[in-house]
Amino acid sequence: MKTFRVGILYSTTGPYGAIGRDCRAGAEFAIEELEQAGGPVHIEPVFGDPAGQPERYLDLIRTMLRDDQCRNVIGTITSLSRKDVIPLVEKYDGLLWYICPYEGFEANENVIYTGACPNQHLIPLFDYMLPRHGKRVYLAGANYVWGWEMNRLARELLTRAGGEVLGERYLPIEETDVGLLIADLERHRPDFILNNMIGPSSYAFLAAVRRLADRDPAFAPERCPVLSCDLTECELGEIDPGIAVGQLSTASYFESLESRENRIFKQRVAARFGAGRRVSSFFAGAYAAVKLCAEAVTEADRDDPASVRGFLHARPRQTVLGMLAIDPRTNHAALPFNLGRINEQSGFDVIASRGAIVADPYLVGTLANEHAPHLRVVQ
Amino acid sequence: MTRTPNFVSWRAAILHRADDNIERLTRQLERLGVTVLVQWKPLDLTETAADIVLVDADQGWDDLLPWAGDEAPVPVVALLGSEAPGRIAWALEKGAGALIAKPVAASSVYPALVLATHAHHERTAVRARIAGLEERLRLRPIVYDAMRSIMAAQGGDETAAYRTLCRLAMQRRLTVEHVAVAIVAGHEPVPRAM
Repeated sequence: MKTFRVGILYSTTGPYGAIGRDCRAGAEFAIEELEQAGGPVHIEPVFGDPAGQPERYLDLIRTMLRDDQCRNVIGTITSLSRKDVIPLVEKYDGLLWYICPYEGFEANENVIYTGACPNQHLIPLFDYMLPRHGKRVYLAGANYVWGWEMNRLARELLTRAGGEVLGERYLPIEETDVGLLIADLERHRPDFILNNMIGPSSYAFLAAVRRLADRDPAFAPERCPVLSCDLTECELGEIDPGIAVGQLSTASYFESLESRENRIFKQRVAARFGAGRRVSSFFAGAYAAVKLCAEAVTEADRDDPASVRGFLHARPRQTVLGMLAIDPRTNHAALPFNLGRINEQSGFDVIASRGAIVADPYLVGTLANEHAPHLRVVQ
Repeated sequence: MTRTPNFVSWRAAILHRADDNIERLTRQLERLGVTVLVQWKPLDLTETAADIVLVDADQGWDDLLPWAGDEAPVPVVALLGSEAPGRIAWALEKGAGALIAKPVAASSVYPALVLATHAHHERTAVRARIAGLEERLRLRPIVYDAMRSIMAAQGGDETAAYRTLCRLAMQRRLTVEHVAVAIVAGHEPVPRAM
């Protein structure tokens, strides 16, 4: 039997450790299932855990690509680490599978993107929110590219829609002192809050908004919701129970989605991990990536990027995320949009959905019409 | 940046020999919605319309681009592998506002388009501003002549004459210089006290 090695590169500790642990668990679960199922090829995982330290990603992925003969690596969570490892992935002609929602403005031939970009999360979110909740918005973000770029686009969308940015504030990734942010919110009294913070600062913020709502009902989630584009089931366990109830988040996958594949998937997860195991888009996304990678390698009997891409581009493939089509132009997956409201059971009630949206990472179609005259060169 | 730069329906002319790099560059440009033409012969913009030009600065020669630096009619991006100062100077002389290093990394393409376009707009705006200032400087003696005529007619000092000239320019919706030309040429009567 032929063996192909696949790198699994996630940080299970550090500021976004909860996400990394769920990604790794999803990948491991897929590998277990592949082992049990047998089949003509053997997928051997090579695990790397950078523990949230940016420089460790480089050492680990270099070893995977150069020494361990991995052509496919599933991993990285932050855009910082993805951007850092891409030159190495290109150098060794590997394929990076990136499954997280991100801020867009990238399309690399050596990367498969199955996480949502802004035309699949932020733009449909604003389409939904602005007519219903108002256009006076407060922007909070982590002090790195995800926070900056998401808020820049939010400001652009609001300007186009005749809305208003009441305030904009950034916190370092591990900062949990949100006092100034809360004071700013109280002063501005927005219609809703866009939260692009991650990890501990995001959790501290949600807890502080809850305390604010207890003394000022204008900040209750029904009236002034906090919206995130990356908060999932796997992090709700990190937040004190009940604190984030009523707040909103977008995802291409929620555990509570009704579909046949999802029902079967959740049964298998429950059989393996017990009934209490939550499934997030990170768990399901990493699981789907490993399974797709294995299918591609099996069909091609090779694991080089050109063969794997060929498999993915040929036609949509069945995954736990639904039918997944990878656009040959951008290497991005078409993904559905779901808006979930956090419930008492630390899960999400889906309150709005849209079918698969073709990814537009550079927003060439989404914002193009209004844009063309702006930067057009007059000869 | 308040508006997301967008290059949909732009036409890019790549002046470079066809090779793997250029294929990768072409695919990345097409991802951005740009139509690409690759040629390795002098560019004639009247024949081949282009909104942006990407030129091989390693092998490029003067006649490849029919302009000198500050006259580039479109944004220019240099495709550069060499570090030789002479090649960098050639790219600058041809008006490159950004460069893409060879071998081409996908992530370098969009930023280069944004930078080159920005540099081009900035240069065009500065050029228009300098042209305006140069004209004003050229007409300075005529403004002085017009002021002397006004002083003779009004009997006031230079400050009063200049104020009269400014007021008239505002009424006619012309620049001070153009009103002065009209007065000196006799198309506009010399204003008396206003």
